[in-house]
Amino acid sequence: MEKNLGVFKIMGNEPMLDRVIFGDNQFFGINHMSEEKAQALAEKFRDLKSITDVIDIAYDCGIRAFMLNTHEIAKDICDHWRQNSTRFADLRLYPSMPYAHKYASAVAEKGIFGALKDIIMADSSVGEIAGMLTKGGASLFSKDMIKVMQLLVDIEMKAFRDLNVRVIFLQNIVTDLLLGFGVKDVFVAFASYIKEKYGAEPGFVTVNLPHLVNFLLECGIENPIVCSTINKTGYAMNPDKELYEKTIVEKEFHPMAMSILASGAIKPKEAVEYVCRMPNIRSIVFGASSKQHIIETKQLIENYS
Amino acid sequence: MLKAGFIGFGRMGITHFSILNTHPSVEITGVCDQSGTMLNMVKKYVGVEVYSDYRKMIVEIPLDFVIISTPPDSHSEIIRFAIDNNIHTFTEKPFALTVADGQQTFAHLENKPLVNQVGYVNRFHDVFMEVKKLLNTGVIGKVKNFNSEMYGAIVLKDSKASWRGKRKMGGGCMYEFASHCIDLVVYLLGQPDKVVGSVMQSIYSSDVEDLVSSTFIYNNGIRGTVMVNWSDESYRKPTFIINIFGTKGKITAYKQSYKIFLKSNDQVNGFHKGWNTRYITDIARGVRFYVRGNEFTRQLDYFVDCIEQGRTDNIASFAEALKTDIIMEEIIKDTALSLATDDGAPQISPILPKSSRRSSIWKKIWEYLK
Repeated sequence: MEKNLGVFKIMGNEPMLDRVIFGDNQFFGINHMSEEKAQALAEKFRDLKSITDVIDIAYDCGIRAFMLNTHEIAKDICDHWRQNSTRFADLRLYPSMPYAHKYASAVAEKGIFGALKDIIMADSSVGEIAGMLTKGGASLFSKDMIKVMQLLVDIEMKAFRDLNVRVIFLQNIVTDLLLGFGVKDVFVAFASYIKEKYGAEPGFVTVNLPHLVNFLLECGIENPIVCSTINKTGYAMNPDKELYEKTIVEKEFHPMAMSILASGAIKPKEAVEYVCRMPNIRSIVFGASSKQHIIETKQLIENYS
Repeated sequence: MLKAGFIGFGRMGITHFSILNTHPSVEITGVCDQSGTMLNMVKKYVGVEVYSDYRKMIVEIPLDFVIISTPPDSHSEIIRFAIDNNIHTFTEKPFALTVADGQQTFAHLENKPLVNQVGYVNRFHDVFMEVKKLLNTGVIGKVKNFNSEMYGAIVLKDSKASWRGKRKMGGGCMYEFASHCIDLVVYLLGQPDKVVGSVMQSIYSSDVEDLVSSTFIYNNGIRGTVMVNWSDESYRKPTFIINIFGTKGKITAYKQSYKIFLKSNDQVNGFHKGWNTRYITDIARGVRFYVRGNEFTRQLDYFVDCIEQGRTDNIASFAEALKTDIIMEEIIKDTALSLATDDGAPQISPILPKSSRRSSIWKKIWEYLK
């Protein structure tokens, strides 16, 4: 670990988290319950306009906070916001990175380091590092994993330039994989880097909330922002719903709930009621693809809050 | 505490490490890989002993089990060496590259009480486990037919750099991808007695197949087809679809849900006549620690449980995995056989017979006119 990174703290400096955050899974053809629904979503959101139309509707309904995975199309959505900066003056973004599927075939073809090297080399602004990579093979990876992490964050964050970014999340596939390795340095370094370089709050997405919260607290990251699937059925809550509920009540952190509807397995009213009645949950991330659903869900959250 | 060593530290090795590193009764003491970069990283950030030679690792440090996630052509020699040193083994799929090799490795166990498991992870998936249970209750009657399909956007151009594009190292759609689909059929319905009409087709790859299809014939009357394509960009994630048709109904299963159609009410399982849908959101049970899918944790926790309980009756044992190896080899033989008899002459009749009476009359008239 680099000694100058220090221990990251947000204690006493309460992060400003939005109560309602609009998610983006629906735009990428993601539905945990059904392949057919997922395909229908992918077809519906086949072009940028179909996505920005829904985003515009959400904004017009008074939603100001948006969570956005660093999918290929994120850059185009951000362009839409930049091009209409007056209209979206109050926008607050919660990017989540990396969008792992973007790299799946590169990793299958060239291996982990080969894929990472390509990603870094493809970025024109890292000339000096590119030199290190070509000269010393992949020695950078073993010498300084933290530097590689920072480079990757910068590459992913380019899409969001000049936009108001509130929290930058490490996406769950990477968070949980690294959590299993238990390498504290990487988590601490990520948290510090987001704070120092981007002036944003670091966040972590996970499907192992109790385990992650304990680990982040052990790392010295106080009051961490943790976003996780939290729903009444207990779907994708590992090891179980009970430990989630206990952790949320007992531990000092900022929980954000996503997948509250469990892809449609729970009725909206019941789903929102469950999450809103849990103490300490600061923010709720939800995705919808029609005006009616956006208005209804937002209204429900506000009614129960 | 059980001491664990990792051999092969690519995508799967890393996933398995993350899962087992959080297991309360496992201590990971060694990692072996060919990549110096990877070993340096592991040594620096994880603090585990690293080796470039698996033999050295197995001899030098006391190990209870090894997790083998190397390219398939190296599985057999590593497994045999581990067996010789009385170490339990978990090996990524496929088990071996030839049936003869796999049989020798299996025989090498010589009834030693060693847990042996292959990473056929679908056997630990919430939906497929439930479908298996349902089939055992005879809910859809006598199974007559099935089709098992698997699609993914894994290979979208010719890849010579990775072992996955090299036949000799066990690359190609058959061993790397279709093996999961075939194993799922073996798990749910057993090993077929014959394969016919097999096709192995290249779409982008120059050295390996990107598509595999075959028809399975069972002596008990079951017939079914397997269709696997790893170059299908229309799928965001690897996708399974299995339809099983029986005399009392049918089941269609995906990883997200399953649907069951019944001719009459089934009180034992709580299904009514007609369609019934069950979603993963209702079926899935949480796991101790989740990385990539519940089933990945469940298979490794089961492996560790088997070691702790001294059980060798493993659900994804070498013997079970060998069944899929045998089928894959039969599909390769069947494909070669159908190509060998193909002399280029069309076997399908054209819509009109080649020489009808009428055409010969016209021919004569034409010749007369000439």
